[in-house]
Amino acid sequence: MFRRVVLGLVAALAVTPVMAKEWKTVRIAFDATYPPFESVNPKGEIVGWEVDYATELCKRMKITCTFQNQDWDGIIPSLVANKFDVIMSSMNITEKRKALVSFSQVYFSTPPVFIGPTGAPADVSPAALKGKTIGTQSSTTFANYLEAMYKDSEIKLYPGGDEPQNDLKAGRLDYTLTDLIVGSNFVEKVGAGCCKVVAEIKRVPEYFGPGVGAAMRKEDTDLMAMWNKAIDEVDADGTFKKIADNYFKINVRGK
Amino acid sequence: MAFLHDLLGFVINTDLLAEYGWRLWAGLVMTAKVVSVSVCLGFLLAWPVSLARMSQHLVVSRLASGYIAMFRGTPLLCQLYLIYYGGGEFRPFFNEMGIWWFFRDAYYCCILAFTLNTAAYQAEILRGAIQSVPKGQVEAARALGMHWTAIMRHVVIPQALLVAIRPLGNELISVIKASALAAIVTLLDLMGQTRFVFARTFDFSVYLYCALIYLALTETTRRLVQAVEHRLSRHIRADAPQKVTATRPVARMVTGSTAHSSPGTP
Amino acid sequence: MSWYALLFGPDGWIGLLLRGAVVTVALSVTTVPFGFGAGLVLALMKMSQSRVVRGFCNAYTTFFRGIPDLLALFIVYFGLQALLDRTSKLLGMSGHLEVSAFTAGVIALSVVVAAYSSEVWIASLAAVPKGQKEAAQSLGLSRGQVFRLVILPQLGRVALPGLGNIWMVLQKDTALISTLAVTDLLRAASEASRATTRPLVFYTAAACLYLCFTIVSGVVQSALERRANRGYA
Repeated sequence: MFRRVVLGLVAALAVTPVMAKEWKTVRIAFDATYPPFESVNPKGEIVGWEVDYATELCKRMKITCTFQNQDWDGIIPSLVANKFDVIMSSMNITEKRKALVSFSQVYFSTPPVFIGPTGAPADVSPAALKGKTIGTQSSTTFANYLEAMYKDSEIKLYPGGDEPQNDLKAGRLDYTLTDLIVGSNFVEKVGAGCCKVVAEIKRVPEYFGPGVGAAMRKEDTDLMAMWNKAIDEVDADGTFKKIADNYFKINVRGK
Repeated sequence: MAFLHDLLGFVINTDLLAEYGWRLWAGLVMTAKVVSVSVCLGFLLAWPVSLARMSQHLVVSRLASGYIAMFRGTPLLCQLYLIYYGGGEFRPFFNEMGIWWFFRDAYYCCILAFTLNTAAYQAEILRGAIQSVPKGQVEAARALGMHWTAIMRHVVIPQALLVAIRPLGNELISVIKASALAAIVTLLDLMGQTRFVFARTFDFSVYLYCALIYLALTETTRRLVQAVEHRLSRHIRADAPQKVTATRPVARMVTGSTAHSSPGTP
Repeated sequence: MSWYALLFGPDGWIGLLLRGAVVTVALSVTTVPFGFGAGLVLALMKMSQSRVVRGFCNAYTTFFRGIPDLLALFIVYFGLQALLDRTSKLLGMSGHLEVSAFTAGVIALSVVVAAYSSEVWIASLAAVPKGQKEAAQSLGLSRGQVFRLVILPQLGRVALPGLGNIWMVLQKDTALISTLAVTDLLRAASEASRATTRPLVFYTAAACLYLCFTIVSGVVQSALERRANRGYA
């Protein structure tokens, strides 16, 4: 009797076809240390522009979305290991990442900036920053850029996206390299009086790519198609601009 | 079969070592530095704390107990965060005192946190060891008119240290393992370099190489401590070699005792 | 903002901290049966006749006691993810096997605690007089009954101090889980301090809460030891 049950189960598992997945619930991961894109509020919820944007996209696709907080260093391996389905955490599209995951179309693109103390000069060439300590988040395009271009400066890497700015305020760093929006938000809200946006740098394509996209596993092509369609829809009827204007003074669409 | 092969491939990768091996070595050197400095300073700090803990003065004793309870009762990571991030908040104050350069550097913050933490544990170990020396010895020494410092130096401490070797060795191993936390405050020790390499390559095998290196470190330390203890306690170990070579059965029967006798000894 | 306002004010973070504290306690308490239980099984396996089994158990214990707990947690956490993913692919499941971060944390901690506690269990097993087992067997009890009814109750008394120490280590190790996206007390404190750039308030609050856990644990452990030792000199 027992053997028959086991055989039956094995047979059932063996013939269960791998169906095209019906996407009813999608798990989205954020590294919520990147205000105003994503951060944690006192109630412990993940909030921010990207969260609002993702909610709107999910509404268009008529699916339920859940949000998870995930450390940046392990975010791609965790996606590949099926801990969640989509990464919408300001992830720049690069060739190295495209080898592991696939990306949607670009949904925003902003330049990187150096943040420094209030009296800092505007020259941020590698020669000018020789011997200085520059901080940024590890596993980011910023980190790769600094490692390649600023070989004479001391680079410090932090696990969180807001930690370099906090340490800049604490005086442990001379500069940080981060996104324009994140940096301005920091200077306005928290770094008032201590720090300023020193200089903007060009989005060199080989390090920064064309812009930010949503990352998904390579095999989830149907989810990708859904996502791209929703992005176009939200663009078309002006909702993107509406959500963006709540947070940003500049145009971030990048298109 | 393919499943096993795939899983194994996930686990082992030798190209990685060729490219990033130097990073792991640099990390190991940093770990060795942090651990040796912290443990030595901790040992120096543990003595006054331990003696204060055993002191007759209530205030002194309570202060020491409080210090020990605080550093043994909270996670090392929490203490590290307090010193590193909390220190940043005190920057104007430290600037005034001229010691900001200390708290600015992750290396010094780690050393401070690890030293304070290990000193608390070592103080308890030393206290246990000192209290394990029979009171009769101290009383006899006092009856002979020895001063307190002489008693400590000639009677108590040599015996206490012998008892303390094994627990102190365990504590050294604990600090080697705890030093991995330095990676979380940006210090590039062995664990930090491993995380860096993983972030670059997404290759899991680097964690296993890191584990093997730590394992080699702790096993070597453990065996070294064991050997040192073995050698230093050779005069009192239960299986200490006796002064005997061959005991002839006839001689045993005749003398009727199990006492050892040998041709050479008086 | 004053310390009071940061913690207890309308935008205060105390709710998040307390929820984190609950998660920390839940992590420790959930790990106890799995970790100590696995440790006991490991200890029994180490006394087996087979050299292979003994060798495997010793290798397991040496490995997890010799590497940093943080590294052990990372390895188990990421390794578990990979294992689950490949297993679900192997079984051809269109869905996926998933464990929550909390469960993964419990599994990782249990693996480490099992390695530590197996040493304590071995020492305790050796401390129970052999005569007890022989007498029970001569009374006709099966091996399972001997273990369950005679050895195990006596084991608890001897093992309690050692296990108490491991419990203390476990409580502090839960703080390491904070690096893996489980919102325990330390992670809650980190998030709060990063959002407000006032780390001192929150890390001090977290340290105080941890001290409370330690004190309560100490009291409970003393009470348990007194009860277990009643009837003994």
